[in-house]
Amino acid sequence: MPILQVKQLEKKFGTLEVLQGIDFSLDQGESLAIIGSSGSGKTTLLRCLNFLERPDGGTITVNGQLIFDASDPSTQHESDIRKKRLHFGLVFQNFNLFPQYTALQNVVLAPKLIARERSDFGANKKDILSEIEEKGRAILEQVGLSDKLNAYPHMLSGGQQQRVAIARALAMEPDILCFDEPTSALDPELTGEVLKVIRSLASRNTTMVIVTHEMDFARSVADRVIFMDEGAIVEQGHPEEVFGNPQKERTRQFLLRYSESS
Amino acid sequence: MTLQLPVIIERLSDSFLLNGKLFALTLIFSLPLGLVVAFGSMSRFRLISVPVRAFVWIIRGTPLMLQLIIIFLGPGLMNLPFYWPAGSNGRFVAATVAFIINYACYFSEIFRGGIQSIPSGQYEAGAVLGMTKAQIFFKVTLLQVIKRIMPPTGNEIITLVKDTSLARIISVKEIIMMAGEYTNRGLIWPLFATGIYFLVFVGILTLLLGYIERKLEYFKA
Ligand SMILES: Nc1ncnc2c1ncn2[C@@H]1O[C@H](COP(=O)(O)OP(=O)(O)OP(=O)(O)O)[C@@H](O)[C@H]1O
Ligand SMILES: [Mg+2]
Repeated sequence: MPILQVKQLEKKFGTLEVLQGIDFSLDQGESLAIIGSSGSGKTTLLRCLNFLERPDGGTITVNGQLIFDASDPSTQHESDIRKKRLHFGLVFQNFNLFPQYTALQNVVLAPKLIARERSDFGANKKDILSEIEEKGRAILEQVGLSDKLNAYPHMLSGGQQQRVAIARALAMEPDILCFDEPTSALDPELTGEVLKVIRSLASRNTTMVIVTHEMDFARSVADRVIFMDEGAIVEQGHPEEVFGNPQKERTRQFLLRYSESS
Repeated sequence: MTLQLPVIIERLSDSFLLNGKLFALTLIFSLPLGLVVAFGSMSRFRLISVPVRAFVWIIRGTPLMLQLIIIFLGPGLMNLPFYWPAGSNGRFVAATVAFIINYACYFSEIFRGGIQSIPSGQYEAGAVLGMTKAQIFFKVTLLQVIKRIMPPTGNEIITLVKDTSLARIISVKEIIMMAGEYTNRGLIWPLFATGIYFLVFVGILTLLLGYIERKLEYFKA
């Protein structure tokens, strides 16, 4: 059973059909790269998965549980959405760290707030909080920032900020971690450190959906690639197939433009 | 009758306490009320946001002095079933109410600007981490808003100190009115002394506001 199944997902902004029936599924531990030209709907797709946009059609199923059905209002209660979006993590293009908190505080803020809802929180408050803190340190170490625990975002380079953002998302232990062009806002010399972190997550079988313009990275790290154009999936398959032997003319054109520009 | 310096100083000080009281009461009530008005003006429901914005526009577009007179005399002249308490106490209460309404409207515009200047990415980052709207407001955006609104709010607070003497228009015996009485008797120095009261008060506030702004310098937003 796939961990994520998306069926006929549609999203309109006014009359603009940004997503026109997206179908794909994702297995546990799989990393999926989504490529496509600007405006093809990649960001909108991730935002729909994270309930930052409400799809106009289609279903989203996680672990066999239908968590969103556009035709069934009972799956769209505002109060459930907060719980449901915890299946997903999202790393933004421009990090969106909380500026008034240190790296470690950024990572542990949400887990600590969630812990308050645990029934045993009152009794074990101290242990729970220090456990979260410990885990936060471990995750920051995992992304190579053990020496920046107490640094505020403005003291960090873009690459370091994005690694804190990844740690922050990881701390919530999402089933599926989404990245929206995680390196597009970075200077070229800083992309490597972020891609390295994502690569190591892939090698630990983290389930990921990665929207990226880094074709070489997508090719080498992803288990599967989706090429999107004008709100639809044009082609999907193993990276070697999609990059090495694209079946559709539009995919060929897109990849050609990329190899020319780089 | 001879006018003795210590007596005059004492009377000036007493009346300046009135300015101080008006200042403090206005701040205590208009800051939170300003936040409520700010949320009202940002409401998704036009039935709320349109009247609130119109009200703010009227208050900010007319002189505080006019508002003082209308609020003090209005109920009586319009035969409203409502009167301010008699005597100097009533005048003071009316002045306080007028100041609170006026300053809440000014603060609300500052707050609205501050809240709307927070990038949507901050809300979205909180939301995808499973935070509630209240948690996002209190744990994520509030301090950033406070940092951004500190300078304009500080300016407004300092203006308020000086505005408190407008209350003399409805015969609240604040310090400038008191000093004016001595001027009528040929003494000019109490007016200068009054200036010093304001200078010292504003000076202390400036230091305090600067201290808070420096406290918030540890992060950039
Ligand atoms: N909130 C919105 N309101 C109206 N139109 C929107 C909105 N968000 C996105 N769009 C439009 O939807 C289309 C798809 O946008 P989206 O951001 O998903 O593309 P993308 O594939 O992520 O592009 P890029 O590679 O530039 O990031 C674009 O035409 C965009 O202008
Ligand atoms: Mg995008």
